[in-house]
Amino acid sequence: MRPELFLRWAGFVLAIAVLAVPFIGSPSLADLTFRTCTLAIIAISWNMMAGAGLISLGHSGFWGVGSYVAILCANHFGIPFLPSLVFGMLGGAVIGAGLALITGRLRGIYFAVATLAMSEGLRVIAVMLPDLTGGAQGAYLNSALFPGALAVNIAASFGAVVTACLSWYIGRTRYHYAFRAMRANERASQMLGIHPMLYRVSIVIVSGAMASYAGAVSVWYGGYLDPGVAFNLHITLMAQIAPILGGIYTLTGPILGTLAAAGLGEVTRQWLGHVEGVSLLVFGVTLAICVLYLPKGIQGGVDRLFRSVAKAPPADDSTPTRTTR
Amino acid sequence: MSLLPQFLIDSILLGGLYTLMAIGFALAFGVTRIINFAHGEFIMLGAYAAFWLFTGWGLDPLAVMPAVIVLGFACGWLLFKAFIERVLTAPNINQILLTFAIGLVIQHIAVILWSGNSRSTTPEYALKALTIGDAFIPYGRLIGCGVAVLLVAMLIAWLKWAEDGRAVRAVAQNSDAATLMGINVKGIYALSFALSSALGVATGVVVSFIITVTPFMGFPMLVKAVAIVIVAGMGSIVGMVVGAFVLAFAETGFAYYVAEGSGWAEGVAFVLITAILIIRPYGLFGDAEA
Repeated sequence: MRPELFLRWAGFVLAIAVLAVPFIGSPSLADLTFRTCTLAIIAISWNMMAGAGLISLGHSGFWGVGSYVAILCANHFGIPFLPSLVFGMLGGAVIGAGLALITGRLRGIYFAVATLAMSEGLRVIAVMLPDLTGGAQGAYLNSALFPGALAVNIAASFGAVVTACLSWYIGRTRYHYAFRAMRANERASQMLGIHPMLYRVSIVIVSGAMASYAGAVSVWYGGYLDPGVAFNLHITLMAQIAPILGGIYTLTGPILGTLAAAGLGEVTRQWLGHVEGVSLLVFGVTLAICVLYLPKGIQGGVDRLFRSVAKAPPADDSTPTRTTR
Repeated sequence: MSLLPQFLIDSILLGGLYTLMAIGFALAFGVTRIINFAHGEFIMLGAYAAFWLFTGWGLDPLAVMPAVIVLGFACGWLLFKAFIERVLTAPNINQILLTFAIGLVIQHIAVILWSGNSRSTTPEYALKALTIGDAFIPYGRLIGCGVAVLLVAMLIAWLKWAEDGRAVRAVAQNSDAATLMGINVKGIYALSFALSSALGVATGVVVSFIITVTPFMGFPMLVKAVAIVIVAGMGSIVGMVVGAFVLAFAETGFAYYVAEGSGWAEGVAFVLITAILIIRPYGLFGDAEA
């Protein structure tokens, strides 16, 4: 019970801190918080889909759709900041629903490939419709509508907190067990009375809307968009690294992982930022090491620590049996 | 004059290349059931090897190809032994993320070592072309296609008649049964992975004098290979050839007959993936068991 109570307080304090930074933090801290928050959103979103057995290699697709819908709303229809975020989320939800319906029963590798195809296909569309999207040259956001850096920062912080709360809430309901059952075996879960298609479509919609929200906020933050920025593979990569680093399929994992990945990103930027390509190299190495040696991530390590502290006297009852062999 | 002869020639030459690319990729996938997202990076490394040997020592890409293939085989074998072997029985997600990460690392090592600039290998034949009537056949593409067809034929012959090749097919069909037949399944996994990498670098050598060489060239080629395998389904070499030509014809067709088609052609692979996944999730030539 102790660790859980501790976690709840830690989460609460973290949420307050994240919400407070836009008001009281220095600009550079606010910038770091903004990037960490958007990363947290896509990490949680990715983890949610992974939790239902759906491996996404296309989160940059959701992000890009959110970005493009937001910039289109602003530039073509003069829609201000907050409504444009809502439309961005709707865009992501629509794409998510389409993806989930199209991929039907596909699992594992095939689903992953389909998400990759979706994201790259969307990028080609964005390049090829210059009248709508600005094409390869990109487009600048209508600066007259810019609500100020404070509002954008708050939106990111708020989004991250809401996303985390939603993921916590789902983790407490029976849906959590339904998704876990689907991840283990979709056919068997059907026998338990779970409607896999319904659950699959709804989780991809929620997850897609979240990632699109992050994309929509980011375009307001950056003020510029081109297909390379919107559908950058880097986004997909970061959405995976954070949950893997922190601990996949857990609630706290993506958040811990986001903090760790953001820290790692900052350190590489400070020390080796001048070398082109080095930050992605570092993230690639991190991802490989995590998959090979730390499959449960930081959360898994912490759990093990807690367990060994909780029952210190008969610690490691598994190791002696192995050594006696 | 019509575009048709030129369209057919371009499609066929491209289809030959795609066949090599896809079969190299599918060999590892079909046997180990692990999608090697780093396969594109092997193509990239092969292209760079050809480029550096050509610009540094003036060696012809075709002349150095056997050496590069041997090197690619060794690298693939090491990669398998060092990393891939550890995730053979791990969940799909670990396998996907691991090969994805390896590809990323290789790609960015290339960026750091050789910068992101585009380069191209220009042996004499790459600049010349043959003209028959209205049709224009670049020698580079013709030779590339010829080499690709030769390599694919050698692979098919090996798979069909050689002892190891038959073992590879047996493992691809049913690894448990293959184990019972006394086949060293892990050894065959390593062999297929290494051979797949060797074919990857061979693809790279061939494309080095056809398209520009950059550290980022691997990923789009990987996606095309994936598209072809999805179209073909698992375990069918005929399907792979058909898939490669379907993609080549579709892309070339878009480039020739649709306004601004060469831009849209890049998306053909993705449309194809989506369409096949909807209509026939196991590919045109695969069966539901795979």
